[in-house]
Amino acid sequence: MTNLTCKIGSVEFRNPIFTASGTYGYGNDLPEFVDVSKLGAILTKSITYEKRAGNPPPRIVETPSGMLNSIGLANIGVKKFIKEVMPLYQNIDTKIIVNIAGSTNEEYIKVLKELEAVSADIVGYEINVSCPNVEHGGMELGVNAILSNILISELRKHTEKLLIVKLTPNVTDITKIAKAVEDAGADAISAINTVVGMGIDIEKRKPTIYKTFAGLSGPAIKPIALAMVHKISKIISIPIIGIGGIVNSKDVVEFLLAGATAVQIGTANFRNLNAGTIILDELNNYLNENEIFNYSELIGKLNLYE
Amino acid sequence: MIISKSEIIENKQIAEGIWQMIFKSSEIADDYLGAGQFVSVLANSNWEHPIRRPMSIAEVNDDKISIIYKVFGSVTQTLTQLKSNDCIDVLGPLGNTFNVDFDKYCPILIGGGIGLSPILNLSQYLTQKKIVFTTIIGAKSANEHFLQHNPNNFIFLSTDDGSVGIHGTIIDALNIVLKNTDNPKVFACGPGPMLFSLQNMLKDQSIPAQFSVESYMACGIGLCQGCAIPNNNNGYHLVCKDGPVFDATEVSFD
Repeated sequence: MTNLTCKIGSVEFRNPIFTASGTYGYGNDLPEFVDVSKLGAILTKSITYEKRAGNPPPRIVETPSGMLNSIGLANIGVKKFIKEVMPLYQNIDTKIIVNIAGSTNEEYIKVLKELEAVSADIVGYEINVSCPNVEHGGMELGVNAILSNILISELRKHTEKLLIVKLTPNVTDITKIAKAVEDAGADAISAINTVVGMGIDIEKRKPTIYKTFAGLSGPAIKPIALAMVHKISKIISIPIIGIGGIVNSKDVVEFLLAGATAVQIGTANFRNLNAGTIILDELNNYLNENEIFNYSELIGKLNLYE
Repeated sequence: MIISKSEIIENKQIAEGIWQMIFKSSEIADDYLGAGQFVSVLANSNWEHPIRRPMSIAEVNDDKISIIYKVFGSVTQTLTQLKSNDCIDVLGPLGNTFNVDFDKYCPILIGGGIGLSPILNLSQYLTQKKIVFTTIIGAKSANEHFLQHNPNNFIFLSTDDGSVGIHGTIIDALNIVLKNTDNPKVFACGPGPMLFSLQNMLKDQSIPAQFSVESYMACGIGLCQGCAIPNNNNGYHLVCKDGPVFDATEVSFD
């Protein structure tokens, strides 16, 4: 029997397969055919202080081996989330990590403090400093090492739960941001958020997405994500949660070899909400066939050419 | 709602660029609520096209489910190559249904573009219930139609080029139909611009209507939030979860 137990900070997850923010709702409103009990964790969609309606349509479009999205952090706001969603988490048989977004440092802190007061059924927070689809906050923070460090240092003061920072690939050197948030006390790094992209409808001569620019996800970005995870893994010592176009167990193994400790399944959920469970079964088979008794034996075990 | 690997019974062209596929899924048929609901199909298992395609249900007959689709891209092209006995990966049934309060109203069904399935589905329901109704179907040209223009039987076709039926759009056809209809209520499905024109016309004449709305969507169940359509409250409805059927006054096509 293979050991899949995955440790991040002081939290043990049953396995390293998580679902990515924005692809699994708040984790409470899934169809009956979905089995979350095999997942390592669910990351909620981003929660902001006030509720947000999101961006005008069109918000999504398929692209070759991927999709562009510009949802604009549509969510119910932290107060309603606490009142209506948090109480349901005691009945959900997997660990919950709440993704937080904001326009200012104060907003992130306000959201975190509200959640901290009632946080018994969640294991931590993923801080979204990388949303490409909002005017303020989000990526503005995530492209700046100093600002990221200040924000995470501040949030660290208010929680002992897991503090995971989700980084954007839309930077010159992602390792600088990664180091800055590690120094600020983050427990882990999620990499990567979507890659800024654009589509054009030549009949209408318009962008395919209302806000012109959008976030590219899916298998199309996997090589970018692998490179980012690998670069970060050389620089920092906290765990990395790899994200970007993972659709099968081979992809998971690639991210582990590149240096990730866990992974998040995103776009693949839109095709099949049980993608994580299916990938986990595949991963188990792979590990058994290759006589790998602890999945962690794969982490960072990449044989470079030189 | 379930993901079903369904066996295809039939997949054939019924008009220029318009195909009908019938597949078997007792699970989807068991959960099916009525006209307006849709399924989301995966044309092939590779990841070149990651996203399912939403398709309205045209008919449910025992465990056999029929969809009608227009070929306009490589995914729908791939769908046309599937043969009977092949399997197709289908998520469904999804979404809500038309609200069929027909005691008070005389139904006028309007379909345009690829928005034919829910209209045909509703027409079968009304026929079964022995309710008299009018159908209006719009297309660019005669070769895209698979019904016969038959005003005596309350079936009106319109074509942009006048090659069959009424020369013009579904609006022109509706203007003719309305002259002979008391207490009309419109049930329509079609592309945004068609519903927009229709909405304005119906509002001016205070005619109630339900629209089945089309949208891009990634998940079909409210998680991706991709299929937003503006409501009248500075917010959005999700076509997949709050719809696809809305009261015409509840949605905005601006």
